[in-house]
Amino acid sequence: MAELNVQHVDKIYDNNVQAVFDFNLDVKDGELIVLVGPSGCGKSTTLRMIAGLEDISRGKLLLDGKDITQTPAKDRDMAMVFQSYALYGHMTIYENMAFSLTLRKENPNVIHKKVLAAAEILGLTSQLNKKPSQLSGGQRQRVAMGRSIVRNPKVFLFDEPLSNLDAKLRGATRREILLLHKRLQATMLYVTHDQTEALTLADRIVCMSMGHVQQVGTPLELYDAPANRFVASFIGLPPMNFFSATVREGALEGKGFRVALSEEEKGILLPYAGKEIDLGVRPEDVIQGDEIAMNVFSNENLGMNTLVHGHLGGGEKVSAKLRGWYDYKNGDNVNVAFARKHFFDKESGVAIRKGAKA
Amino acid sequence: MNDDKLTRLDRMRYTKNTLASGLALLAILFDVFFFISIYESNVGSWYYNILMGASILYNLIFLLAAFLCSEGIKNYKISYAYVMIVLGIIQLVRIFIYPVTAHNSTVIIQEQAVTVMETPQFIRCALYLVLSAACLFVGAFVGMTRSKQLSAHLKALGLTA
Repeated sequence: MAELNVQHVDKIYDNNVQAVFDFNLDVKDGELIVLVGPSGCGKSTTLRMIAGLEDISRGKLLLDGKDITQTPAKDRDMAMVFQSYALYGHMTIYENMAFSLTLRKENPNVIHKKVLAAAEILGLTSQLNKKPSQLSGGQRQRVAMGRSIVRNPKVFLFDEPLSNLDAKLRGATRREILLLHKRLQATMLYVTHDQTEALTLADRIVCMSMGHVQQVGTPLELYDAPANRFVASFIGLPPMNFFSATVREGALEGKGFRVALSEEEKGILLPYAGKEIDLGVRPEDVIQGDEIAMNVFSNENLGMNTLVHGHLGGGEKVSAKLRGWYDYKNGDNVNVAFARKHFFDKESGVAIRKGAKA
Repeated sequence: MNDDKLTRLDRMRYTKNTLASGLALLAILFDVFFFISIYESNVGSWYYNILMGASILYNLIFLLAAFLCSEGIKNYKISYAYVMIVLGIIQLVRIFIYPVTAHNSTVIIQEQAVTVMETPQFIRCALYLVLSAACLFVGAFVGMTRSKQLSAHLKALGLTA
């Protein structure tokens, strides 16, 4: 398999619109990297540049130490799986999977063995004589993956492969991709706008916004220690609550609330004394307590949890994911506390960590 | 049986018999050439008119039957191989119906004796029919052989065709 290095890559279109800014990434052998971000953030463009389907305006792309920046897509030894499957409707599943090898004029017996092996991995053996139109969306996506597997490429590239599937099928196919990665131990790059996919699949996540990389890290790092306000708001469902608050006398004061800080938090926020910051609290970290009063306006029962939406005393909206089943009515008052807090610089949006300067 | 031969056999489970099917289509092509060639004949009597009309009519039937055979044999259906053999025999028999009877025969057209079919035209017509028949025979043979091989292979795997 392969190591991939993306060095200072920019993408500037002919109309001078820059889609990707200084993208850097080192992908280790056998690693599954997920590029996540909202629509238009440049993640698909980055993947297409790596695949060779888009020119790289600036920067370098190395595969196993070899510069492939100018190498045509067909010679890069990478296989791409598209959202739209891109299967040939007039060919059987067998023929679709064998197609790339047939074009390369490989020995038909070798092709046969590779196709059968890939079909076995993907559970498609009984479907090989069917046409794509006879298969479900999930099966079609598996065929698209099978077409990549038979080529035995150095790198697998997935461009939102599950977007066309319904929620149930998406979950099942996601697990299949994960199993496939464990089985093949292949280097994979996966693009999605779905943070659940990113968190469940990735060895490491690259979170992007407006063409810039916001943070690269493990799913836990992105969830637990977001680098900035964007990452904090993008990763996690429901999204993080944000409040404006001022650091004052060992506490945070906002509109309608005052929360005490722990000694560690006081240390982190020492340079911000008297200044306004953004306080971030995940809905699952809003717990029942006696610090702040929340006025409920909506109650959603999710089974194990109840998602309660309300206003803090000063009118700021807050969502709380409370463990258990509750039936709060509109106008009920619930006392809550913040179990865990994230702090962000008001101006830059960057996370405030130990030793930060205001 | 060695591994290569076994893989070749197993491939037939997922690939079409394009060789046999292609030969059936080639037989159609030669028949079309024959079809075109017989129009050059100087038919001046009701006898040759009827013979040529019948030949045209049969050509239409042949085109349909041979095309169906091409599709059937492509999917390793052995019964179509037998139909192809019958069609091939008929193509050979046809040589002795129209081209042979018309060859060097004369008819009166506008009070002049003319030859219905000259020798070069006869050779062309006969050749096209022979080639068409040959394609059908070879296609049927290939189809039959591969169908039997596939059936035996599927039987060995405990599957049905």
